[in-house]
Amino acid sequence: LLAVGGLYTVFAPQPQVARAQANPAQGNPTQVNPALVRQGEQLYDTACITCHGANLQGVTDRGPSLVGVGEAAVYFQVSSGRMPATRQEAQMQQKPVTFTPEQIDALGAFVQANGGGPTVPKAGSLAGGDPAWGGELFRLNCASCHNFTGRGIALSSGKYAPKIHDVNRRQIYSAMISGPESMPRFSNQQLTLQDKRDIIAYVESFMNKPNNPGGYSLGGFGPVPEGMVAWLIGMSALVAVTLWIGAKE
Amino acid sequence: MSTHQEPPGEATRRPRHPDDTDLSTSSREELVRLGSELDDVTITHRADPFPILGTRMEKRTERKVARWFIIAALAGLGFLAAYLFWPYQYAPPGTPGDRHSLYQLYTPIIGALLGLSLFATGGGMIAYAKHLLPHETAVQERHTTDASSELDRVTTTAILVDSGVSSGIGRRSLIKRTAGFGGAVLGAGVGVFAVGGLIRNPWKGGAHAALWVTPWAPSPGEPVFLRYDAQHLRLARPEDLNGGSIATVFPYKRSWSEQQAYDAMQASNSPVMLIRLRPEQAAQVIQRSKRQASFHYGDFYAYSKICTHLGCPASLYETQDARLLCPCHQSQFDMLEYAKPIFGPATRPLPQLPIAVNDEGYFYAKGDFIEPVGPAFWERKSGSL
Repeated sequence: LLAVGGLYTVFAPQPQVARAQANPAQGNPTQVNPALVRQGEQLYDTACITCHGANLQGVTDRGPSLVGVGEAAVYFQVSSGRMPATRQEAQMQQKPVTFTPEQIDALGAFVQANGGGPTVPKAGSLAGGDPAWGGELFRLNCASCHNFTGRGIALSSGKYAPKIHDVNRRQIYSAMISGPESMPRFSNQQLTLQDKRDIIAYVESFMNKPNNPGGYSLGGFGPVPEGMVAWLIGMSALVAVTLWIGAKE
Repeated sequence: MSTHQEPPGEATRRPRHPDDTDLSTSSREELVRLGSELDDVTITHRADPFPILGTRMEKRTERKVARWFIIAALAGLGFLAAYLFWPYQYAPPGTPGDRHSLYQLYTPIIGALLGLSLFATGGGMIAYAKHLLPHETAVQERHTTDASSELDRVTTTAILVDSGVSSGIGRRSLIKRTAGFGGAVLGAGVGVFAVGGLIRNPWKGGAHAALWVTPWAPSPGEPVFLRYDAQHLRLARPEDLNGGSIATVFPYKRSWSEQQAYDAMQASNSPVMLIRLRPEQAAQVIQRSKRQASFHYGDFYAYSKICTHLGCPASLYETQDARLLCPCHQSQFDMLEYAKPIFGPATRPLPQLPIAVNDEGYFYAKGDFIEPVGPAFWERKSGSL
């Protein structure tokens, strides 16, 4: 057990430490703008402090700690309109976005400056060139909840995996890296940056675009509605034709 | 002799039975009428749509019918051409030349063309019957439904019995038995052929039967590693997962050939979820038994992905409360309490895979599952381990 604990202490803090050090190494120190952090702090003090606490430590029964969640989590939650929340419920709803992109950046910089955490790469395209491999990974890691057509599914106690619809590449990336609410996190060691870019390419291949070899998606829910439609419409058509043939003497 | 009354007037309506001279001198039309009358069929109305052959009207009608068959042939050719030459390979949206739309049209096009071809063939046949065949109305007398006459029945029975007796099969018991034996064996052979492919023996191998042993079973001196996906060989390491993560892993031995490794990934009892709990969750874990308490590695826990209810892949992991949901029948498992079922029809916890890390830093399975994976079967003991 001592060995297990020893190994654990060796391995467990590594990702956090590594990432906290890696961010400055990526050239972020030049980008950390004290004015931006101050602006983020002011926004935080007006919009977030009630539930997340004066030092981002979280408030019991209101909101979780934001230490270490990183800029990626802020970007996902605020740019999708889930945060700031209007009330406590099983899952935060998507709403019209409250803040401008500059304000979201400021909030992200403030949270990043207080505990670090995952970030979203600012340079380079987030869409990879191999949507087939992305689809393989999507079906292995994401489809159990989001459905391979991205339709989502109900989870327990009022929670749900949302439909992947009208989201941008940074949001998909930041959801994978930060694991919002019930979603597991997928670190860049588990799914590499290239894997994530291929997954994003796959998501974009079905999102907001008709990608139905049969011509119509029927909601993208799979074989049950398809069989029902085949039965109801196909059988009614056959019955109608039979009646018509019978009526012609 | 006859037990039933002849219907009145039948004898008078019956045509005279023709003799040989009648048959040789009759025309085709007369023979048709005779055959119909012998069957009690009366043609009450018969009108040829085109009594004079070769009129312009008839030609026009013929062309109308031929048009259907030409449509059928063209649609059939179109189907063949689309089936052979249409770009059916998947192209993602935005490919130059709009290959994506072409790909999307493949299925509708071959379906519509083949359907049109079948429809036009049917339409041509209906049109021919409607416009070119003679219109006729025929009435057939309903025959009495009584049994055959006593004479017919007695003589027919005698003929059947006579053929049986004169074949001598009743006295030749050697032939009777061998023929029966041959027939029975042939029938059994056909039956075995039909049913044999459906029979599998899951208990073959006794204690090492497929029901009890999974591809995670280690062989002496060789660890079974945890690999991520099928295309690349990536083995799981503790630093891959953050707190609150899940990864689906499959067994891998270094000595395996490519085919063996593939088969192990495809085996229905091999998918395992490697879950890393959040630090605050790891502190709340309740262990099932002293033996199973050593199965985890720090805050890493490995459980079979196969639901113990009906064998669906249960991997809807809700990280916030460390619960796992099976999408088929909403069974829920508590990952903080040895994957115990807390809701839904599943009655047994998910089997836990004992894991550790070797000195190269890779996860490996310390042994196979200590209980069978997946849904129940007759010999499976429920209860304690």
